[in-house]
Amino acid sequence: MIRNTLIFIVIFYFLALIQTSFMVHFSIWGLVPNLILFLVIIWNILEKSKNNFGIYQAAAGGFFLDIFSNRLIGFNVIILVFSVIIIKLFLKSYVRIPFLEK
Amino acid sequence: MRKILFFIVIIILIFSLLNFFKKEARSFFYSFSAPIQKFFWRIGEKSSNFLSAIFKATDLKKEKDELEFENQELIIRVAELNKLKEENKSLKQALNLELDKDFKLAFAQIISKDISQDFILINKGNQDGILENMPVITEQKVLIGRISETYKNFSKVMLISHKESSFDAKILNQEQCSGVIRGLGNFNLLFDFISLENEVHPGDIILTSCLGGIFPENLLVGEVKKVKKSDLESFQQAEIEPIFNISKSSNVFIILEF
Repeated sequence: MIRNTLIFIVIFYFLALIQTSFMVHFSIWGLVPNLILFLVIIWNILEKSKNNFGIYQAAAGGFFLDIFSNRLIGFNVIILVFSVIIIKLFLKSYVRIPFLEK
Repeated sequence: MRKILFFIVIIILIFSLLNFFKKEARSFFYSFSAPIQKFFWRIGEKSSNFLSAIFKATDLKKEKDELEFENQELIIRVAELNKLKEENKSLKQALNLELDKDFKLAFAQIISKDISQDFILINKGNQDGILENMPVITEQKVLIGRISETYKNFSKVMLISHKESSFDAKILNQEQCSGVIRGLGNFNLLFDFISLENEVHPGDIILTSCLGGIFPENLLVGEVKKVKKSDLESFQQAEIEPIFNISKSSNVFIILEF
């Protein structure tokens, strides 16, 4: 768990750098895709509903989004963590993906 | 569930405390991220240029011919303006008036752009004599923004398209036509509070004016894209296409004195 957390911290750090320095040159109508948000959502959809690793992952991703933006630190953390909780509750209550449950 | 709630409360507390030291925290991350960000910025610029050359290949020849023609016209105009500049200088000397000084500039490079807002990060800070509110321009004297926050070796630049940015401006060759440029976010600008009596046309060039004292006079801002005029409104407005393009710019200049 700690090893996975550290791996994701490094991944999110580099994704934040890529988003702010590389992807800027490929913006469409001034918009740059939020790679960290994309990865967090995909991971949490594919993760088993009883696991909560995705929530810690969302906090790490949100932290790096805040560091490389001008907003208060914690702004993106709170948004991502609550988004992930809502995704998990929704998937747990209303959605079953059989091949993921195995 | 209780574990998750406890975790959420802890992170809210940690980040609330961290906000008292957000400048130091950001400075810490910027200091070791800067070389990596610079590398990604260069790669992005080169890749973007390469890809746009492929996708716009058919238009390139036409654009090249138009630019060559425009370049020739500009060479003639520069020669005429140089002559006027010399005349102006001689007249000012003859009348004992103070000569125009060139700006005192500091060179910097863009290393990243803020994730959500119109801010960029440059690699010069307090140690290099950079202070808040200093204007930032390109080498062609195109206005980019102003320094909003300084760190030891980095500074944040608020772009002129940021929603909190506003300054006085005028139209080239129409000194009486002035108004206020307001940032709309996402690289969009609005030229507002233009008197209804003034004629504004798409293609007009917008420059900074000396009113307000935020930026030096005659810095290039943008070009009028569309004019919004209504008899029901007290003023007319114009959508402005900014001249600067951060995805094609790496080098900037900070005006230390003006």
